Amino acid sequence: MTSVIDYVPGNTLLHRLNPVTKLAVAAALIVATLLADTYPLLVGLIVLTLALGAYAGALRRLASLLKVLVPLAVIMLALQTAVVRTGAPVAAWVTTDGLVTGSKACLRLLGVAMPLILMLSVTKMGDLANACVEVLHVPYRYAFTFTTALRFVPVFSQEMTAIMEAQTARGVEYDTRNPFRKLRLMLPLCVPLLVSSVGKTDATALAAEQRGFYLRTRESCYKRYPLVARDWCALAACAALVAVGVAL
Amino acid sequence: MSSPAIIRLEDVSFSYGDRNARALDGISLEVFPGEFVGVTGPSGAGKSTLAAVLSGAVPHHYRGRLYGAALVDGHDTCEVSLTDIARTVGSVTQDIDAQMVASVVEDELLFGLENFGVDHDQVEGRLSGALETVGIAELRDREIATLSGGQKQKVAVAAILALRPRVLVLDEPTAALDPASSKLIFQTLSQLNRDEGITVVVIEQKVALLSEFCSRVLVMDGGRLALDGTPREVFAHGSELRRMGVDSPRVARVSNSLAEHGVIEPGPPCLSVGEAEELIRGLLAGRGEVPLPAADTAPCGAAPGTTSSQASPHAPVPRQAEPVPAPVVELRDVGFAYPGSGDGVSHVSLTVRPGELVGVVGQNGAGKTTLTKLLNGLLRPASGEVRVAGIDTREVPVSRIAAHVATLFQNPDRQLCKDTVLDEVAFGLELQGVDGDEALRRAAAAAERFGLPAGESPFSLSRGQRQMVALASVVVMEPQVVLLDEPTSGLDYRECMTVMETVREMAERGCAVIMVCHDMEVVSDFAERVVVMAGGRVLADGPAAEVFSRPDVMAAASVEAPQVAQLSRALARSTSAEFAGISQVSGIVDLVEEMVRP
Repeated sequence: MTSVIDYVPGNTLLHRLNPVTKLAVAAALIVATLLADTYPLLVGLIVLTLALGAYAGALRRLASLLKVLVPLAVIMLALQTAVVRTGAPVAAWVTTDGLVTGSKACLRLLGVAMPLILMLSVTKMGDLANACVEVLHVPYRYAFTFTTALRFVPVFSQEMTAIMEAQTARGVEYDTRNPFRKLRLMLPLCVPLLVSSVGKTDATALAAEQRGFYLRTRESCYKRYPLVARDWCALAACAALVAVGVAL
Repeated sequence: MSSPAIIRLEDVSFSYGDRNARALDGISLEVFPGEFVGVTGPSGAGKSTLAAVLSGAVPHHYRGRLYGAALVDGHDTCEVSLTDIARTVGSVTQDIDAQMVASVVEDELLFGLENFGVDHDQVEGRLSGALETVGIAELRDREIATLSGGQKQKVAVAAILALRPRVLVLDEPTAALDPASSKLIFQTLSQLNRDEGITVVVIEQKVALLSEFCSRVLVMDGGRLALDGTPREVFAHGSELRRMGVDSPRVARVSNSLAEHGVIEPGPPCLSVGEAEELIRGLLAGRGEVPLPAADTAPCGAAPGTTSSQASPHAPVPRQAEPVPAPVVELRDVGFAYPGSGDGVSHVSLTVRPGELVGVVGQNGAGKTTLTKLLNGLLRPASGEVRVAGIDTREVPVSRIAAHVATLFQNPDRQLCKDTVLDEVAFGLELQGVDGDEALRRAAAAAERFGLPAGESPFSLSRGQRQMVALASVVVMEPQVVLLDEPTSGLDYRECMTVMETVREMAERGCAVIMVCHDMEVVSDFAERVVVMAGGRVLADGPAAEVFSRPDVMAAASVEAPQVAQLSRALARSTSAEFAGISQVSGIVDLVEEMVRP
């Protein structure tokens, strides 16, 4: 069972950065992408993300994400060309302005989606939560809620798969080739899934309380997450990246 | 015992929410330090509620009305917080995935240690100590999602153990585990109890484990404490337990039954195969017949096909299927591997004829569930061929195979999706194109037969009843092949028997039944033929009594033969070859009676 946010083990500089710094790197890449307005920078940022991914051994993860994103980007390009009709015509309804805005929107989509996934895949959820509590002073209960929600994603998707298998074995046509029909068949299953998720969440809350959840403070954590020299360097690089985004 | 009770319930009653029905009804109970207490009873007896009272979840987490007093280490649980109760009582609940709060084993253990403010210089010692005690030191850096059920269960115990509770309360820790892992969990608990002096209270349906490991057994029925004593005292009440719907270890049934027949004086029952063997050997020692040397009487050495029918007149006689019908299930050299792991099955060949009831046994991960998925088409073979009811599963969509093959899954909740029981049971028929009115009529008949409330929502029913709804919707389809994946897990003894009797009737009417099951007693009671799997391969396939009497196969598959099979094998070696191949309690008892009174 692998999902896009599963941890990719490793010991690269990227892995060793403070989780908060990694969040900042992802945020800087995203902000720079949103601010950037030239092709070289937009493409450069995507290449930078891919290069970081390759360095951290998470390139395969990004590739599987791209498989989902690229078709989406193409649809976006088509829509943009249909909406933006100014500029010189190229072919059919497509105009130069349409192509330019459309292609930039595509590149932005790719540039925005990848950094966060990359950073999450080189960070253990527990470390991320603990570091956010220690460094950013996020209240622990929010951090816990967030990590628990992320942890439940694969649990529930497994549950959904098991439910669909059970229903298919009864004769429900989940093996149909028609995606709309499949979707319509899936809707009634939301209720059983919701019932089981509420039950699970309640049980987790009880288990957490029975292990002293309410006693926890910012100082409780056994591991420490100080910002060290490499983190400050990375943060400086982040600031520079955003500045470049503003400039270009 | 002189030391004061660590847990004391004084006339405790509890009802959930605004309901009037009492989940617990006037329970008074003392648990002393160092005890290993097993709690059993039919579904709905209040076992989980009792665990919730002991751990403080009642009254702090579950709303309802609580009467009486529950004292943990002298403190009334109403007056101290749940967190403070948790310092004394560690609790492991039924749903092991929901129990976890972290994604990595180490973090899971750290969570409690950090929260309770354990000194940071002690943390490492406690953490590695707990992991070592439970025997999972090598799992420290593993992601919890990648662990097996038994490993997760151990992580949950270790996470509680690191907090050094004085009492450990566990709610059916072995429900999802195979026999070997179940025994390991109990061995771990027993070791904690003995070496660390931790008091253990464990809810458990597997009576053989209770009788082997616990120092005291409580039997609950209808929210009350029905029996309380040592395993020997409790299991002496065989008929009373049966009336409540609680199983007894088979060897206890043998000695209880011998007492009922007047062969021995009524008294404490046998709790292990060794004890039962000794008892019967003693009884028959006076007859003057010298047992033959072991090698000559061992049933597995003799021509296998003959042992069950000829060596012993007491083995169950297989139903006579007159002209042998053509197989309805055929697997030819089937292989399948899950992508990214070595798991799966290889070189599996198997044929099943209409009317056969085949048990499939083996450890978790042996390939049993993969086998069922290959049969209902959810998985397609990578090599070889699977033919079910004349259909090659590679050529027909799963939803069409469903007309011929019905599957009862381990968790009924995944099968249910309708608002009423009636609609639920009729749903499968409608999917196969049966006319709406006709489907409802047949569904109503099936619901009535199982005594199910046709108008109610399936989700409002108890776990056992939901399993019955799922079963009814399988039966109503009148399929040619029925697949059962752990049909009895989560059910009490009585529900289990109802399910299995129904399955047997279906087989008698010509349906081929393939049943994956961890409960060897159920398998030996109902299956005529047993397939043993290990590592994705079929190790043995043959009549149940014969397969269970092959210790080499049992050991290779990490399966423990049912108690009666072990007993008859031991007796065949030590006392008389006539015991060979007997698989039922009544068979042993009748033979002993016959031999004692010539």
